[in-house]
Amino acid sequence: MAVLTVRKLTMRFGGITAVNGVDLSIEKGQIFSVIGPNGAGKTTVFNAVTGIYEPTEGEVLFQDEPLQRRFGPKVLAGAVAVGLLAGLLVALFAVNAGGLWKRAIRDQEAARQEAISDAIIKASETNPGRGLEELKKEAAAAHPFSWRAALSGAADHIGERSSRATVCFILGALIGFAGTLVTWRRSRRAPDVITSGGIARTFQNIRLFQSMTVLENVLVGLTRGIKGNPVLAALGLGAQKRTEKDAETKAAELLAFVGLAGKHNLIAKNLPYGDQRRLEIARALATNPTLLLLDEPAAGMNPSETVELMGLIRRIRDRGVTVMLIEHHMNLVMGISDRIAVLNFGQKIAEGTPGDIASDPKVIEAYLGSEEVS
Amino acid sequence: MSLRGVASYWLVAAFLLLAAVPFLPSKSAPIYATQFTSVLCLAVLALGLNVIVGYAGLLHLGIAAFFGIGAYTAGVLSTTAFPFGASFLVLLVAAPLAAAAVGVVTTAPTLRLRGDYLALVTLGFGIIITRLIVNFDPITDGTKGLTPVSPNLFPGVDDPELPKYGPGWNNTWRKYPYMYFLCLGVLALVVIGLRNLERSRLGRAWVALREDELAASCMGLNPARLKLSAIALGAALAGLAGALYAVAQDGTTEPKAYDFNRSMITICCVILGGLGNRPGVLLGVVLLVGYDQILTPLLDNWIQQQKLNPEGKEYLKVSGWRLFIFGVALILMMRFRPEGLLPEARHKRELHPEETGQPAVGGEQKGASSG
Repeated sequence: MAVLTVRKLTMRFGGITAVNGVDLSIEKGQIFSVIGPNGAGKTTVFNAVTGIYEPTEGEVLFQDEPLQRRFGPKVLAGAVAVGLLAGLLVALFAVNAGGLWKRAIRDQEAARQEAISDAIIKASETNPGRGLEELKKEAAAAHPFSWRAALSGAADHIGERSSRATVCFILGALIGFAGTLVTWRRSRRAPDVITSGGIARTFQNIRLFQSMTVLENVLVGLTRGIKGNPVLAALGLGAQKRTEKDAETKAAELLAFVGLAGKHNLIAKNLPYGDQRRLEIARALATNPTLLLLDEPAAGMNPSETVELMGLIRRIRDRGVTVMLIEHHMNLVMGISDRIAVLNFGQKIAEGTPGDIASDPKVIEAYLGSEEVS
Repeated sequence: MSLRGVASYWLVAAFLLLAAVPFLPSKSAPIYATQFTSVLCLAVLALGLNVIVGYAGLLHLGIAAFFGIGAYTAGVLSTTAFPFGASFLVLLVAAPLAAAAVGVVTTAPTLRLRGDYLALVTLGFGIIITRLIVNFDPITDGTKGLTPVSPNLFPGVDDPELPKYGPGWNNTWRKYPYMYFLCLGVLALVVIGLRNLERSRLGRAWVALREDELAASCMGLNPARLKLSAIALGAALAGLAGALYAVAQDGTTEPKAYDFNRSMITICCVILGGLGNRPGVLLGVVLLVGYDQILTPLLDNWIQQQKLNPEGKEYLKVSGWRLFIFGVALILMMRFRPEGLLPEARHKRELHPEETGQPAVGGEQKGASSG
């Protein structure tokens, strides 16, 4: 089964077509490389797959399904709630909320206070021996606030402005409802949805959380896997401590896996370059992906680090994670890839096994000039 | 012992000291009792702002609006002009909820804005709410403010021992200045709650969001939800502070207490003390608000008692120099210690790259970027 299928993907930015009708299909358990000269559109493909860009044309299928937020009753209920709220607020302003409050609450209360003081005066005249506090209490109990009168006052106030209120309510509700749906649609393919669906990535220009420690970086990646209610967490209740411990164990395991054991408490930005790349991989693995996209993982690494990285990528594959990678190091690409796709000027010019690619005349011409693949 | 451990010992000591203040045999402390209580309220407010600005990195310039919403919710629900007569416990729940609801509703449409643009929108929001408070006369009593705000402690219990009038340590309940202790207790709970939250996944997710929103969203975190939760919590704390303030002052006081100046002073407290660090923020509040409301009048009093300024000249009073000193202190701070007095380790790293070392820059392959 194909883990990732990219069909006729086209990305245009203004007049520039960065990617033009690219088809890719990545099988489970493969290491799939995308190569091509600078500006060929490789990272753009990654960005379209991970939801950072919305494809201009074409589609991206993950395990034969588009990865996006599902439309369900929850979304609809949310939109209706926002619509009602917006309508209510607009209508309140239309009927003069201050006047409404005055008529329903303030005037009623003022009248009640007056009645109470009248009652006190009357009672003290007829029965002069009693204390004032006692009289006050008695009078207040005899004249409770009438919520019915308040409600009918409010109803009258709105009734006098009913047409205005209705129009404003409907307008506000429509705007709220439509706005929520539009906003929701825009965020359907947001990166967080894609990541929770099972695609993780690293970045070409390393984007670690720089001033966090190594361990914390991985813990952020694990966030989705940690259960727990924030309110309970704030109160110090629930299984907070235990889940945190579990997460730390998991993070330590991942760090050991990429070869960063014993560096847990270093600050991410103080790590050497190669370690930063490895940490980014660990952080991506923490989201428990099915497909891992690596954007130039060997950039800035020396030859021995590159060899280590090849081993690491193979081990990631052996964990059952499909790997898709962009790389310029030909030794690495030719050494570990199961399949390679070559992009040039936004178009796929070749795809095949490393052997096919190395001998493909189109690739040699377009990408490597007349030189032999090194 | 780690620095964090030391700071928390200091914090506990400071709380014990504050709890002891009302029992000290001092002549001047009772005079400033109201101010002591309001410093505690403003500390809760600053901690709320710290959630938004310090943890999640959203520059919010209208925090006083939530403070005002909390205060007026408390006022409306418990003043004698309206029939609700809610108790203090109800206010403690209702005011944060109201402020958080307004925070979420007004922030949701602005989620796509970043940095300066968000700051401008929040600035406008703060000004609108202040205007609304002034002009919504039937509910807020305009510039007069709602008064009195003297709720019972518990719902349905009319406690005859509870003084209903007059702020400060004079309003004792069974001989204790209860408002002061209530505020102190609420502040302690807030500090502990935030400490727990900082160490939970939500706290980490906020920091990740602050450092790199795109990378955070590629970790499966929903930035919109994280921002809304930060605003909701920050606004709720600000609303709580507002409710405490209104009860402590026995009224919502004038709407000026909730205007842009309050937002600015609060953000100064947070930045001066140390963005993102609870003890730092508390220190900032004590220094700035304490200087403003307690130290200045105290010094003025002293100058008058010593007869140093018999003609009452403005330039011989500390209050005449109040804002000047404040400004100079802020400028010096920003020049020499931009991360604040007690910075959070992460913020310090963000502001002082040279001390912790830059990441090793990659080889020539780094230049070989692809499309």
